[in-house]
Amino acid sequence: MVPDGVRRPRVRSFVLSNGLRVLLAPTLESPTVSVWVWYRVGSKNEHPGITGASHWVEHMLFEGSPRFPKGAVERSVLLVGGEINAFTDTDFTAYFTTVPREHLSLPLRFESDRMTRAAITEEEVARERTVIHSEREGNENWPEFRVEEELFQLAFRVHPYRWEVLGRRGDIEQMTADQLREYYRRFYGPRNAVLVIAGGFDPRPTEGEVRRRFSRLPAWGDDVAVREVEPPPSGERRAVLRGPGTTPYLQVGWRSPPLANEQTPALLVLDTVLGGESRVFSAGVVWRGRREHPTARLYRSLVEKGLAVRATSGWSPRVYPSLFTVQAQAAAGVDLNRLENAVERTVDELRRRGPTAREMSDVRTRIRRGAALSYEGATSTGFRIGYFSTLHSLDLEDRLYDRLLRVTPRAVRDAARTFLTPDARVVVRYEPTGGPSDD
Amino acid sequence: MTSSTDPLRLEYGALANGLSIVRQPPPPGAASFSATYIGPAGWGFDRRGEEGTARIASYLLPSGAGPYDRIELARYLDRAGATLTSECAPESAEVTIWGPSEDWRRLLRLLAEVVLRPRFAADDLERVRRQMAERQLREVSQPASRADRELFRATFPSGHPYRTAGLGTARSVGRVTTETLRNFHHRHYLSGEALLVATVPAHLRSVESVAGHLFSSIPETGGPDLPMPPVRSHRPRRLDVNLRGRSQVEIRIGGNSVARSDPDYPAAFLANEVLGGRAQLSRLFQRVRERGGLVYHASSELEAMRFGGYWSVGAGTGPERYEKVLGMLHHEIQEISRRPVPATELREVRESSIGEIPLALETTAEAHELAVEVAYHRQPPDFLLRWSSLLRTVTPDDLRAAVARAMDERNATTVVAGPLMAR
Repeated sequence: MVPDGVRRPRVRSFVLSNGLRVLLAPTLESPTVSVWVWYRVGSKNEHPGITGASHWVEHMLFEGSPRFPKGAVERSVLLVGGEINAFTDTDFTAYFTTVPREHLSLPLRFESDRMTRAAITEEEVARERTVIHSEREGNENWPEFRVEEELFQLAFRVHPYRWEVLGRRGDIEQMTADQLREYYRRFYGPRNAVLVIAGGFDPRPTEGEVRRRFSRLPAWGDDVAVREVEPPPSGERRAVLRGPGTTPYLQVGWRSPPLANEQTPALLVLDTVLGGESRVFSAGVVWRGRREHPTARLYRSLVEKGLAVRATSGWSPRVYPSLFTVQAQAAAGVDLNRLENAVERTVDELRRRGPTAREMSDVRTRIRRGAALSYEGATSTGFRIGYFSTLHSLDLEDRLYDRLLRVTPRAVRDAARTFLTPDARVVVRYEPTGGPSDD
Repeated sequence: MTSSTDPLRLEYGALANGLSIVRQPPPPGAASFSATYIGPAGWGFDRRGEEGTARIASYLLPSGAGPYDRIELARYLDRAGATLTSECAPESAEVTIWGPSEDWRRLLRLLAEVVLRPRFAADDLERVRRQMAERQLREVSQPASRADRELFRATFPSGHPYRTAGLGTARSVGRVTTETLRNFHHRHYLSGEALLVATVPAHLRSVESVAGHLFSSIPETGGPDLPMPPVRSHRPRRLDVNLRGRSQVEIRIGGNSVARSDPDYPAAFLANEVLGGRAQLSRLFQRVRERGGLVYHASSELEAMRFGGYWSVGAGTGPERYEKVLGMLHHEIQEISRRPVPATELREVRESSIGEIPLALETTAEAHELAVEVAYHRQPPDFLLRWSSLLRTVTPDDLRAAVARAMDERNATTVVAGPLMAR
């Protein structure tokens, strides 16, 4: 069960005959309603040549259909003061619209339309190509993005997690409208989607409206398992990137288990001990930035000691084995060898001794209390319910909390010994070249 | 005495020492509480040669206060399921606590400790100095922050609060001591100009009573004066900053603007929304991104603060496209300056702005942000209820007149920063 005091609304769940899973989470007093459509498609479903297709299709679903011309969807939402957006991940693509509650029909109308009828024309694909290039270029301005992209590329040789969700530059240049349409036809449709409605609505008439709008859609949408299995790491891998920046920067990654793995709760606790806060129990629509936590091991051993200005760990458990990472930005005058040695010493200490009883007690408190308000607001509620349901099942959240609170210090130490091994790590260093180099 | 339950209707009170208390009812169904203390402690108050002091003080507030060192404070917050954040801006600094409603009294007590009795420990100061040094480097080497920096430096004169991001220099930050911080804290946090805003399921009187005990040590003094050197208008100009090795060029066009209290503000607000503020409905998004397919982001901002403001149009694009994008941005600024906005477009943007109010009341944290803004700008307690009708009185002529004052293209500075092609 989720910890005491968590006010998660009751969820009514049903599946339409075409395979669409629907989750209704009413909170009658809410002035807004949030409609989320989650598709189990992400960069995991791509292959070289069409990397970035999931993200590009996400953009194209705003570019019109025979029934809703380009821009009509966003315009209709904004005209009633609503918010509309979407995001793509390795394992899913999510679309959300939050509107004042009296406008619930609006997102239901266009989500049922674009689930199977997006146009994806040659003309719009050509125009969007530069927009996506520009999105990628904006990210490339940040060394952190370049390092993370390199880290995953180095860590995975077979599995699709090796490329960034935005796709490779060359693929963005070459991909055609035909390829995007084919991708959309294959993966989009009720069978591969979860519809979540959260907030101020009456569930009975809403269920009727959902059935009316979505039941007749064809049973399209493949939930395709990734067949490529990444072989176990066979030794350390390293790379060095150089470019403009501030101070040396470092990311270290280790192969991590999938979301539903037995050792996942222990590794989530390990992430919290090392970095301060785990992403799974953070509230909010989009993952909050990690706050500095002065009890976190990396903070104490790197930031407090003057070796780094920022240091944290990060792990988003995914459907398939992924990477557990540590990131550190050096303080001025600290070189990468010193920084990396300090990271290794910190991790090694956890491998040898595990967390202290005090750390375990702190983490349990943080998990229990941090969860309490995570369901405030229709948008956050729609996100959390959809996230767990899409990646695994709604009960996964309950089971995770239950197991997280029972993780022992030994289990955390064992997880560190199993996963964070020196001979399986991937290290990417970023060496800034010169100063700001402006003319 | 009845107490409002509408989060759009604030209630104003004050303590005997002059500290203003603002109470906002939480949104329906919300289970959290939020309170913010705002002091005249922005970086505009930094003394010459000690630039960076305000930001360092703000960073250090959540790092230990009263009986709690930074670890004990973090554990206290964890036990309460609460968060504590501090922010610094040119005119003011604020500290916000958020947590479960039922604990609002003890969380308010903790906020008072943090605001009134910060520790400013020497080792924390050293840590923040290192972090500031890295941020100073980032500010000049990242195209987006560099473009902002050059725009503000070109727009505002030396000594003006909006001229910098308050990061200081290596030398000025090196001069800041714990004594400097304590003096700054005394002058700017324990000030008669401070405000306490609470979004809480309790009557204003209860909040005043609790706050009265906690904040009684604030002396009855007037607030410090924010130095505001006059901003001189200048001819349009362009600054190019070549940052080699980056992928994207960041563009900014902007200049000086009006304060929030300016009678033209509602019209200027709508003008900005039409131009680039109202996300996908705005001209910049529609014409530069959607029709032109040239950028991922193109938007505009009107930052109307208490004592003045600035406006800015921004976009990011590749090195081979920035001149074309720049031309389109200038064209859109000219359009809104020189031609009346069609009544239909104005109506749509206005109704969108009005329609979003329920979304701002989804959670306590979001509703609280609105309350803090209204309270800081000394707007009346029913301002949020009147905002819709204020917007509905704006005509296309008002909007054009507001653009001439609040987003004046004739005095605009253009900055491009990033990997530039030879011109």
